[in-house]
Amino acid sequence: MRRVFTPRKREPVTALDGVSLSIPAGEVHGLLGPNGAGKTTLVKILSTVLLPTSGRALVCGHDVVAATKSVRPLIGIVFGGERGLYTRLSARQNLEYWGALYRLSGVQIKERSAALLERVGLTDRADQRVEEFSRGMKQRLHLARGLMGDARVLFLDEPTTGMDPLAAREFRTLIGELKGEGRTILLTTHDMVEAETVCDRVSLIDRGRILATETPRSLGTLISRFQRIDVEGAPPELLAAIERTPGVSSVSLQPDGSTRVEVNEEGATGTVLRLLVDAGVTSVRTSLPGLEEVYVQVIGERGLTI
Amino acid sequence: MRAFLAGARIQLAFFRAYPDALIPFFTAPMFSVIFQLIFHHAGRTDLTGYAAIAPVFIALWWMALFNSGWTITIERWNGTIELLVAAPASFAAVIFGRITTTTLAGVVSFGETWVIARLFGTTVTIEHAWEFVATIVVTLAAMAGTAVAMASLFVLARNAVTFSNSASFPFYVLGGILVPVSLLPAWIRPVSSIVFLSWSADLLRAGLRPAPIHHFAFRLGMVGLLGACGLGLGMYAMRVILTRVRGSGELGTT
Amino acid sequence: MWYAVVSGANDYWAIFTLKSWVFGWCVRMISQVSFFALIGKLLQSDAQTQFFLIGNAVVVAAQAALFAMNMTTAERGNGTLSLLLASPSRPVLVFAARGIYVMADGVFSALLGLFILGPAFGLHFPFPRVLVVVPLTLLVGLSAYSFSTFLAGVIIKHRETTGLIVNSTYVTLMALCGVNVPVSFFPSWLAWIARCLPLTNGLEAIRAVVDGAAWSTVAAHAGAELLVLAVWLSLALATFGLFMRAGQRDGSLEYAA
Repeated sequence: MRRVFTPRKREPVTALDGVSLSIPAGEVHGLLGPNGAGKTTLVKILSTVLLPTSGRALVCGHDVVAATKSVRPLIGIVFGGERGLYTRLSARQNLEYWGALYRLSGVQIKERSAALLERVGLTDRADQRVEEFSRGMKQRLHLARGLMGDARVLFLDEPTTGMDPLAAREFRTLIGELKGEGRTILLTTHDMVEAETVCDRVSLIDRGRILATETPRSLGTLISRFQRIDVEGAPPELLAAIERTPGVSSVSLQPDGSTRVEVNEEGATGTVLRLLVDAGVTSVRTSLPGLEEVYVQVIGERGLTI
Repeated sequence: MRAFLAGARIQLAFFRAYPDALIPFFTAPMFSVIFQLIFHHAGRTDLTGYAAIAPVFIALWWMALFNSGWTITIERWNGTIELLVAAPASFAAVIFGRITTTTLAGVVSFGETWVIARLFGTTVTIEHAWEFVATIVVTLAAMAGTAVAMASLFVLARNAVTFSNSASFPFYVLGGILVPVSLLPAWIRPVSSIVFLSWSADLLRAGLRPAPIHHFAFRLGMVGLLGACGLGLGMYAMRVILTRVRGSGELGTT
Repeated sequence: MWYAVVSGANDYWAIFTLKSWVFGWCVRMISQVSFFALIGKLLQSDAQTQFFLIGNAVVVAAQAALFAMNMTTAERGNGTLSLLLASPSRPVLVFAARGIYVMADGVFSALLGLFILGPAFGLHFPFPRVLVVVPLTLLVGLSAYSFSTFLAGVIIKHRETTGLIVNSTYVTLMALCGVNVPVSFFPSWLAWIARCLPLTNGLEAIRAVVDGAAWSTVAAHAGAELLVLAVWLSLALATFGLFMRAGQRDGSLEYAA
């Protein structure tokens, strides 16, 4: 599938360039990529908000272009963020409105909105204005909104961005519950850890192309393989020893005086850390590789060209 | 139908949530007071009917210009337009529901001007009741149709804000809502004839006079026709909007 | 929500390019004045036409001064209010300065309306004495602006009602301040209230100039308007700080929702 945007007076932008993907029912599929990779564009096409320039997309067997009316009742959209809610109305009013637009009866609307508010933990704030909600609460309301139509397929576009870690973790638990109900979920994110913990499979997308589709395990391996360790106060002999350790790809001095150790094998991190701790060096920090670096590794391994 | 009602219900919720929506319910009666003062001071109590009718148009037109007209644009600013497009309900039906509710709310100003007239010691007598009511009904429909046109065109046109802020009094003059079009300079009258307000205001004023109303059906028909033109234009423009949201992605959440 | 929110001259001019100013604000203002002047035709009285035209042209200056309130309360909306509170200059003065452009625009429009529509409706203004109307209109604008600044302080905790307050106030001024009917038509208690409001006295001064009345009469009315300006300005300076501090105490001046 291709999607080309032609903004006025600017060069055409190819947001999606030959994307092919298949997600079986009941799967939580992650779409992992940096900003501008095309994640939101793909989600918009699948949720019938945007038309593809070429290619086909089927949701639950219905073509999103030819059978739009059949697709819409089946899907739920959680775009998230600060917008997409009527801020001067209450949470309940927001949900009841969308319930009506998803063709629920009066009774259904009342019951389902109450149930969903309960589920996302907003019952005691149900009649407060959304403008008074925190970011995390708004996000939960977005999820409730997306579920008003009892969607079989849910599209979540970067739903935990801006959430604090605790709220994000609770959110992910909710997603697990939804999967348990047999719903299919497409989740976009630029957070690798999130992709790894929540999804059944993860597609890496960059510049409008799908680079690879991984299981969380292999993604996790990738992540842990390319960890880095920042050290301060390690004597030069120790650093030299570390550099000789198998699995260590580089040991470099940083501008701020610390030393960065990069590894490229699973388990190497542990070896390096043990060496450091045994030598009494405790000013140590580990960090995960950035998404770009993982991509470079993935592309390099598969021999893909960008 | 459910989409229409959903739109209506949420519009009522908006009325409660946004104080600005109530502006015409304060300004229209104030204008009624101004007009009554003018006519009483000039010793022309025969014109108090004019003073009661004009503010209703002011209220209805304000609703269209500052409330209905911004319905779709506000969905864009709010980030909800794409959600609305993706919902199973008909986009147009929801918008119609909201605009119709807003328009009907303007009827409250009738009550207000009647009360103001009483406070000034006059009563507004309707001589031709059926024609008066018929005119009101068709006028409301035409107002809603015109508001749909505004709602759609304000999204597509770049100078919508300027138009919205400046298109109140020009249309009060062209529409002859207080001073009949017959008193306007000759060169302006053709323009007035395509503004449904002028036909409507004339008919309502005629409904207050004992003399029989000439060519009632034709004049009422003009109100309806011009309103229908507004509606047609609005629906066409709405289709353009939906195409642009889905096609070029231009009008999506901004 | 329904009004373009401007903040300072740059933003103001960004929205009002010359073309849009001409076609937008100007057209509306001319229509507004004409709307009322035409009532004179309905009443078949040239004297009435003149009365309505002058009144409704000058009221444009007051109206603009009131619309400037949208800007001052927009400061709170933009979240810049908290930053402003931290600055060394007196908040009320900074607030007042930002809306001056709108008021000046209003005065200019009022004069434009007067001198273009006047002749168009067949009025004859006595030259050169009619030029005194220019500073008098500016006086009206400033007077209305000090009133507007005071009101802005009063409602600063409830920004969402600004549109309602602005519109209700300006239409009330149009009813009360001798714009369309002379203040003498009211019972004395109401007339007294009208004279405490901006616009009333200045408008009488302007009418006196056009009618060829004695300069002492003009001066008396102008002096009254000056007094009104001083009183509202003092009230604004005195209370603005209070409202701001009250808002600081209860947190209602928080960043925009």
